[in-house]
Amino acid sequence: MSARVNGWLYVHAPYLLLDEQLAAQAEAERQQPQVLLQQFGSTGPRVVQLNTAAQVAGIQRGMAMVTATTLVPNLICRDYHNNREQLLLQQLAQLLYQDVAQIALQPPQGLLFEVRSLLRLYGGWQALQKQLQQRLQEAPIRYYWASGYSPLAARLLAQAEVSVLSADPQVTTAALAQLPIQASGLENRAQQRLLDVGMTTLGSLLQRTNSALGARFGKDITHYLAELRGDFSPPQRYYRPPAQFYQRIDLLSEVEGWPQLVFALKRLLQHLEVFLQGRQLSTRSLRLQAYHRDQPSTVVEIHFAHAVWQQRDMLQLCQLHLERQVLPFPALELSIRARELETRQAHANSLLSEQQELPAVAALVSRIQARLGEQAIQVPEVQADWRPEYAHRVEPWNNDAHDKPMPELERSPRRPLWLLPQAQPIDRRQWQLHWGPERLQSGWWDDEPCVRDYFIAVDSSQRQGWIYHDQQGWFLHGWFS
Amino acid sequence: MAGLVDRTPPIALNCLTNYSFLRGAAHPHELIETAVQLGYQALAITDECSVAGIVRAHVAARETPLKLLFGSEFQVPELGVCIVIACNRRGYAQLCQLITTARGRCPKGQYEVHVGDFMQHLDECLCLWRPLDNNAVQLHSKPLQQQFQKHGLWLAFSRHYQADDVERYRCYQQYQQQTGLPIVAACEVNYHTAARQPLHDVLTAIRLQQPLAKVRQELLPNQEFRLRDQQELAHCYPLAWRQAAVKVMNQCRFELSELRYEYPAELVPVGRTATDYLRELTYTGAAKRFPKGLRDDVKIKLEKELELIAQLGYEYFFLTIHDIVQYAQQRGILYQGRGSAANSVVCYCLHITAVNPDQIDVLFERFVSIERDEPPDIDVDFEHERREEIIQYIYQKYGRDRAALAATVICYRLRSAVRDVGKALGYSEQELRHYLSRIDRRDHDTPWQQQLQEQVPGLTETPRGRWLLELIEQIRGFPRHLSQHVGGFVIASRTLSELVPIENASMPERTVIQWDKDDIEALKLIKVDILALGMLTAIRKMLQLVHQHHGKSYQLATIPTEDPKVYKMLQKADSIGVFQIESRAQMNMLPRLKPRTFYDLVVQIAIVRPGPIQGDMVHPYLRRRAGIEPVTYPSPAVKQVLERTMGVPIFQEQVIKLAMVAAGFSGGEADHLRRAMANWKRSGKLKQFEDKLIDGMLQRGYELDFAQRIYHQICGFGEYGFPESHSASFANLAYASAWLKYYYPAAFYCALLNSLPMGFYSADQLIQDARRHDIAVLPADIQKSDWDHQLVPMQQQLGLRLGLRLVKGLREEEVRALLQQRPEAGFRSLEQLRELGLSASALQELAAADALQSVSGHRYQSQWQSLTLQVEQLPLFVGVDTTPTDLDTIAAPLECADIAADYRTMGVSVRRHPLALLREQGVLKGCKRASELALCRHQQVVQVVGFVTCRQRPGTSSGVTFLTLEDETGNMNIVIWLATARKFRQAYLTAQLLKVKGIVEIHGEVVHVIAGHLIDETERLSAFGLRSNRSRDFH
Repeated sequence: MSARVNGWLYVHAPYLLLDEQLAAQAEAERQQPQVLLQQFGSTGPRVVQLNTAAQVAGIQRGMAMVTATTLVPNLICRDYHNNREQLLLQQLAQLLYQDVAQIALQPPQGLLFEVRSLLRLYGGWQALQKQLQQRLQEAPIRYYWASGYSPLAARLLAQAEVSVLSADPQVTTAALAQLPIQASGLENRAQQRLLDVGMTTLGSLLQRTNSALGARFGKDITHYLAELRGDFSPPQRYYRPPAQFYQRIDLLSEVEGWPQLVFALKRLLQHLEVFLQGRQLSTRSLRLQAYHRDQPSTVVEIHFAHAVWQQRDMLQLCQLHLERQVLPFPALELSIRARELETRQAHANSLLSEQQELPAVAALVSRIQARLGEQAIQVPEVQADWRPEYAHRVEPWNNDAHDKPMPELERSPRRPLWLLPQAQPIDRRQWQLHWGPERLQSGWWDDEPCVRDYFIAVDSSQRQGWIYHDQQGWFLHGWFS
Repeated sequence: MAGLVDRTPPIALNCLTNYSFLRGAAHPHELIETAVQLGYQALAITDECSVAGIVRAHVAARETPLKLLFGSEFQVPELGVCIVIACNRRGYAQLCQLITTARGRCPKGQYEVHVGDFMQHLDECLCLWRPLDNNAVQLHSKPLQQQFQKHGLWLAFSRHYQADDVERYRCYQQYQQQTGLPIVAACEVNYHTAARQPLHDVLTAIRLQQPLAKVRQELLPNQEFRLRDQQELAHCYPLAWRQAAVKVMNQCRFELSELRYEYPAELVPVGRTATDYLRELTYTGAAKRFPKGLRDDVKIKLEKELELIAQLGYEYFFLTIHDIVQYAQQRGILYQGRGSAANSVVCYCLHITAVNPDQIDVLFERFVSIERDEPPDIDVDFEHERREEIIQYIYQKYGRDRAALAATVICYRLRSAVRDVGKALGYSEQELRHYLSRIDRRDHDTPWQQQLQEQVPGLTETPRGRWLLELIEQIRGFPRHLSQHVGGFVIASRTLSELVPIENASMPERTVIQWDKDDIEALKLIKVDILALGMLTAIRKMLQLVHQHHGKSYQLATIPTEDPKVYKMLQKADSIGVFQIESRAQMNMLPRLKPRTFYDLVVQIAIVRPGPIQGDMVHPYLRRRAGIEPVTYPSPAVKQVLERTMGVPIFQEQVIKLAMVAAGFSGGEADHLRRAMANWKRSGKLKQFEDKLIDGMLQRGYELDFAQRIYHQICGFGEYGFPESHSASFANLAYASAWLKYYYPAAFYCALLNSLPMGFYSADQLIQDARRHDIAVLPADIQKSDWDHQLVPMQQQLGLRLGLRLVKGLREEEVRALLQQRPEAGFRSLEQLRELGLSASALQELAAADALQSVSGHRYQSQWQSLTLQVEQLPLFVGVDTTPTDLDTIAAPLECADIAADYRTMGVSVRRHPLALLREQGVLKGCKRASELALCRHQQVVQVVGFVTCRQRPGTSSGVTFLTLEDETGNMNIVIWLATARKFRQAYLTAQLLKVKGIVEIHGEVVHVIAGHLIDETERLSAFGLRSNRSRDFH
């Protein structure tokens, strides 16, 4: 086994999600002890990620939330979201893709690099390490990394939070031998059986002969050892950069308006630039989406007159665009999507060909929007609410939404087709009641309750109207014909 | 449609209470109270396929002019909604039967009905029908009419100002023309006042498991589903339809008070009267209990009791329990009765209880009382491992249609309310968890809303936050579902389902009735509580061991009483394993209270409870007992009540009695007081008694100060008051187990260990205590151990051989089968164990637990060998000793690794205590052992170190918390002031091995260390791998 070469590198970022959130925070907030929690079975949430301030206060990974919050009463707790972390892992891969071609995602928090060929390119570990270190500084994460002669060897060391970067396989073997069995990555039962015979470190395992181990622990263990020693390598699935860009970030607190979103937007655009730069692409449109609590999200489409790729340009244009906009509700998350990408050489000189790729309606809409502003096109939607004002509303045009099924209309009571934007006071004597009342008392939850008796009535011109009576008097609210 | 002003009284024929879970938004009593205010003449309680709320409604309506009708609403797939109302007792039985049938078809909480169910056996009911559609009317109106011809079938029209009112109105008129059926006005009442609409909407969201924002379509459009007044009704319905409601009301002549409980008759031999028979059984029993004959005073008491029983007609109740305990006796199952009626001479003679009335003659006062006219209360505890046998006996003897468990109504409490309401309002799990963590539920002085507002200031700035607080408070106490009572059986003379519907419990093969214990009590039905108690199992096993190894046979009732040596042991707080007085708090009290007699134990058990502690009764009692404070009584009447507890009320009975003799409460009023005490915090009903109590006492010449103190004590008692009658029964078991601990300690520990899980202490703690009592504890060994722990004769005395039951992951049958085949000379090899049928995994567990030492060497070696035996042997080779192919020798484990593995595999170790090892290593220099503390000077500065075995949750209000540390010589009590706890928060909260620097305080036998410094020493345990938390946190 003298031919072993440390051709693998593993980066382990145990606090990936939290680190990303910390990066979005102001300095003072970042210093607050904070943790991410995950539910394990019925035992209640436990700490899975924590910042330095939390560590200093005595909180540890795996600690029950109850204990953690008793220890630090003002602890900031958020839930851990695996899918968000997976997006981050892809972003991290995207970032490093600029330097390394062969990256395998190792969810939830690891990246594996095949670096054998790169070593030649960079002329050895030191230079490669320096390059990657610089690159990783662009990501706001805490990480451990280790080299190894097999993917498993590198992974175990990094996950055990032992950072050993060395070209020397013997250094790797020595480091591995020190690892406790609990860091072996073997399933719990196998670990326990090893401990049962007094094997407490990987070293004690590596000492025994394959046959002695195989007879007792079966094929799994011999397989494992072969994988660890690099005698056998499972095939890796390497990362392929996506064809379009999509990123969504958690703002961590409610943000009231677009101007306050600029900081987050900057970060997203920075990522976009990395993405575009890596592919030599540019874009002509962006789609920003702000997500609210309990409300449908707000979408802003931004079109650029010419193709752009630099964060500075995109930010400027976005800011100009957003000055005209009002954020209707506080936002919790922000996402950015760049779908139509073009290569930088091929400047789109034919408008026609570009438009052919768009659906006809969308193209029309985008052209009208370009002229009249993006709020100019709206689509009515039915809402489930007893209050007529809330029973339907207009939504900004949304490309994804137009094939959404309409809510069930059969059960809906009789409602006028034309609802007046503002109910108009009427003289009751002018109207003849035909039907009613339908009493609507609802909406206590948002302090805009409605308490009205509705009638279908006919006015002197025999027009059928929808009128109501409340404490303020009589009003016309809509027309049936 | 507008009606004229008329005088037709308002009637509601379709009221849902909150016992239609997540549909009704009012408590039964709220509906009743509002109906009375609005001048309603009648209310039909028609919960969906349930009568779970009717007793509460009945109790609330008892002293009002309101007439109640009892019925139930069903959603019938083919028919629409059918509201079936009982017209008389027979009809009520039919309704109960229908509900039983419908519920029996489905798992807990659901029901299923078909059109066929409404076509038979309902002839004494009437039916209000909300047809599904025209088709249903065409198809089913004729047969339905036929079925309900005696009392009537109506079309039930409801108007709530909805969009389809007119349409439905026309439909109903059409139906009427088609079928000739009358229409009756029947509002759908889901709550009592309009103000409950938000809660109703939230309940709907909870029911649909979606946030409110997503279910707006399912919400009712307005607040008309309340109880409306006469004028509003007149506006909704034509006169004739409202008059039809009067007709419906008049058809119903059933009162819940008609339900008479009938006892199972088979208990009395043919030709005898129950009175006679009970007398005979009692005197036969008396001859056994009092072999020297009855003393005159006891006989007088016995006669008085029998007379009272006959007068109230409770013979069958005693006979029923007698029958059950007889069965337990035959099967050798240990039991003990408790409760107000249990400590009577009759119960002693019937062998229901073993509390000798000679020992405690003051308890008969709260025996069955005529004036209260409440059913007697007897709970019987059985061995926890064998209670199921008793339950099966009851089912077998009376049949499943005659015996069922009472229900327990599970209600919304703060935690569940926050979660459910919060989710409905769209809060995330995380936010709700955060809010919950901000509420200290033991802070009784600050309401939870105030706590939350202080801790989460922005919360009430939004309407949503304000609604959250409001609606949580509203929903608290709402019933959520029915669960099974721990053991309250109702046994009927005939089919039980004619009395109350029976439904499936979540446990398979268990059925519960739709009423809980309060309902049963309100209707004066009888229930027998069949409960499980671990200590009884342990005591039976102790007595068996004593018989087996010492040749002495004792029973609970024949254990020598009032043995001073036993009390002396308890005075030293040597009570680990002793029933009820083994907890840390009880152990602290023992050296202060110094029990010398049985009655002292009765007091000891009752006094270490939140009730007496909150009512500040502990210190006055102790002072008076120690002679520091004079014992005084404000009057002879009070003296009579409080004399036995030195003038300090300690038991619930005394408080009740005090209200009677000192404040002039009648028996009935005192009983109300007792009920109000039980839940005064929730209902706030106790307040109404305050004036009456204080005025009553002032009038009778008591000082205001005394009166206020008594009231304060009653409040303190609250939910936690402990009845003397229960305490006495518990004291009996406490004494019995203490006596066994003193005289037969080996049997005591062995039986306790064989009865786990139970009690306060783990196997590890019990074994340590056994060793401190000089009992040799031998390790689990495949050559010597049984499944259970056993006593083995040693030179001087009996030793304790641990059983294989300790080894985690073993199956009992498998091990027992193996042990049956154990050769005289022991097993020869691991291969032999496998050949005898032991599975590979069990062999590995045994190796890991070091139980194979004498077959194949130390645990590492044994496991190394056992792992080669995983493949099933071919039959060809069975019996042929295969020599191990691999002769590797494996190094023996270090002592600390052995200890760690023992704890991991068995939770105990008979090796040295880890602290002994650490001390040997010299890392605990300068630390006193637990056993040395008592020899210290009072207020000497000391250092101690130990495992944290009991950690009280840090309190906000009290300012002081307690911790128990264990070392190799025993336990130490550490007192930590709030400031110290805060300063060393991390060590205090998370250390498993803790070093404490502090001052030792010695008061007689009570030794404490007042902590000044806490140091986390957990790192020192890493060699032991003892990362698992052995501590009982936050109790």
